[in-house]
Amino acid sequence: MTKRTTALLATSLAASALLADGVVLVQKSERDVTKLTPTSKAWEYVKATTIHLYPQTALVMNDKRANELNRNAKAKEARVKAIHDDKNIAFLLEWPDGTRSIQRGYKSDRYADGFAVQLPVNYEDPKKLPYIGMGSDGRPVVIHLQKAVEKIYEPNGNGDVSMQQNVLSKNAFGDSAEEFALKVGALAVKDYQRSFVSEGFRSMTEIKDGSEKFDADMSYSENVWRGTLTRPLKDSYLNLKGAFPVAFAVWDGARLNRDGQKLLSGWIAVKLVDSNGGEKLVAELTAAAEGDAEHGKELIEQNGCTGCHHISGLSGANYMAPGLDNVGGYSTSAYLRESLVDPSAVVVPGYNRNAHPSAVWYNLDHGKRVSTMPPYPLDDKSLDDMVAYLKTLKSEVK
Amino acid sequence: MSKRQLAMVMDLNKCIGCQTCTVACKTQWTNRNGREYMYWNNVETYPGTGYPKNWMELGGGFDESGDLQAGVVPNIEADYGVPWDYNHDQLQFGAQLKPDVEPTWGPNWDEDEGAGDFPNDNYFFYIPRICNHCSNPGCLSACPRDAIFKRDQDGVVLVDLDRCQGYRYCIAGCPYKKIYFNPKISKSEKCILCFPRVEKGLPPACAQQCVGRIRFVGFLDDEEGQVHKLVHKYKVALPLRSDYGTQPNVYYVPPTEAPPKFDAEGRIIEGSNRVPVEELELLFGPQVHDAMKTLRAEMKKRKETGKSELMDILIAYKHSDMFRLDQEYYQSIAKREGLSLAPIDNRYMQGKNSPNKFKFKVVEYD
Repeated sequence: MTKRTTALLATSLAASALLADGVVLVQKSERDVTKLTPTSKAWEYVKATTIHLYPQTALVMNDKRANELNRNAKAKEARVKAIHDDKNIAFLLEWPDGTRSIQRGYKSDRYADGFAVQLPVNYEDPKKLPYIGMGSDGRPVVIHLQKAVEKIYEPNGNGDVSMQQNVLSKNAFGDSAEEFALKVGALAVKDYQRSFVSEGFRSMTEIKDGSEKFDADMSYSENVWRGTLTRPLKDSYLNLKGAFPVAFAVWDGARLNRDGQKLLSGWIAVKLVDSNGGEKLVAELTAAAEGDAEHGKELIEQNGCTGCHHISGLSGANYMAPGLDNVGGYSTSAYLRESLVDPSAVVVPGYNRNAHPSAVWYNLDHGKRVSTMPPYPLDDKSLDDMVAYLKTLKSEVK
Repeated sequence: MSKRQLAMVMDLNKCIGCQTCTVACKTQWTNRNGREYMYWNNVETYPGTGYPKNWMELGGGFDESGDLQAGVVPNIEADYGVPWDYNHDQLQFGAQLKPDVEPTWGPNWDEDEGAGDFPNDNYFFYIPRICNHCSNPGCLSACPRDAIFKRDQDGVVLVDLDRCQGYRYCIAGCPYKKIYFNPKISKSEKCILCFPRVEKGLPPACAQQCVGRIRFVGFLDDEEGQVHKLVHKYKVALPLRSDYGTQPNVYYVPPTEAPPKFDAEGRIIEGSNRVPVEELELLFGPQVHDAMKTLRAEMKKRKETGKSELMDILIAYKHSDMFRLDQEYYQSIAKREGLSLAPIDNRYMQGKNSPNKFKFKVVEYD
């Protein structure tokens, strides 16, 4: 976090005319990209790709104030840059945020701005990518998270049990009491920077054994946050080569954002310019919807989708299944199609079922989650049309 | 639902509001490391704002169809109160005694105020509150990280600090606001029912220290235990605000024995009771009427015949009868699971020893 570099990176950028917009092209640098910080000059020489971050509306969280603040949250436009060297890759995410929120002090109800980068463990079949919301069963993802939280006190991390006592229990007075306070303060050294593996909502587990080496940092100026992430191209979790998908999420602390209360992108194709392969993935993630959205909308209504799913303007206030208002913003066409044909292929382990016993969206069959939604094995044309319509469901960009 | 459930009964007729339980808990668990403002055990005056301020209006819990309700995360300054200290070490140099922050709110800010007109019909009573270790915990349902769990062996609800990410949805989800955010570690923490003590056969610190001997601790299925008798046999111990739908496991003997009211001339109004029964109904549900009937009948029986098992229990003769913790039971679990120490719940340390990084076990709740 204290790294500073003014190194200029090799910047000959020959954008491939074959690749469509929305693909993050990654050049190779001769320099060590792990030295890059959000304020490194070198980023000026890297081409940016514009992406959109949509409010998460599949699930409604249970914080009353946060829900009020985010009721009509709009999408945001963000910029992504990436560059790699022999071993590592560095991402820069720039996103607008009018308020700089840092979680600090003795407060119970302050939340931090932050960002996350999500990468799939397996991306060979571009039609079967992990679910965008933290992966899905058998389709794990790695998530890197950086939040603008002041240094966290974690004495247990070092086993400093004696430092966890109240000063009153230490027989310390005056100078010795101050000395104790200083020693305890010095233990507060943890940056809120974490890696997780996850196979779906609720299963997210922090990697704490040091097997995931990465570094993230955030910097704010002129109403824009810049966040960098550097990590190995290959390690025991991931093997990033050719082209691979990436997804981003950002949190706005001023809007009480945390966890599912956030903005997120869909899967975005990243192409390593000097590495072969991945054309199928790039084509899949950049393809325009083929179907007839108008007809798709009719089909959605005819098939009663809005009886359970919420689509603004089509559904009533009460609904049980994941909300679809931004599903076009953060879901791939392949995922939408799969969900129509085989709803049980990806069932988010979901909101603890205790929370909604009257609106269960899946049942357990020998430990496997079976969606309460029936499959819709319609003809290809109808599916294309419905997917085309679903892809139009997203908030406007502010 | 856990296999067995440890429960506590508090006899509100005997609580004198001395806060010994509060202090026992504070010195044991919450006087350090970001927990300073927390009271895992507090004693509040009812009627009153409670702790945190107006907790009954802050949402959480479940509606009739069982859906988790949205709630609010309270603010430390405004709703809990920032702990303050005094400049004692300056006094010898002639300084004026003063607090180190400007106190604007704190727990028990309105202690002993109560309601009604003094001296005719004013009233209040104390409610000691700990985590209810609910059978259907609102905090657990709200947690998007599966970081809160209910132990199988005794139903104690715990936070897995390795999984907790400090999102605080649990605080919004708990209708009793008995789970707190620790700003120093950015994680949630709560009453652990002194499980390390319980596993060694000792009652929770708050129960052990209670000078009024109002607290009974034991397993609900232990038919010989006083907790079982108070809750299931005599049905005089009732959960607090069971309408929140979380199925709490801390039970209260309602405060039936209040003094009578006075009339305008200051004479006793015979047969009157200062505590309005509607208030008791709000807190303990309609069952409070039966509980009061039973209590009065048994009291009468005791006066007339000298015999009443219920009254003997409520007199609380012996700690050994009041606390039935079954250390053998915990030791047998430890032995079976190959734990060498006191049987600490192994999920408490899950993050540290989950070797297979891609294998997740999402607990499904039926």
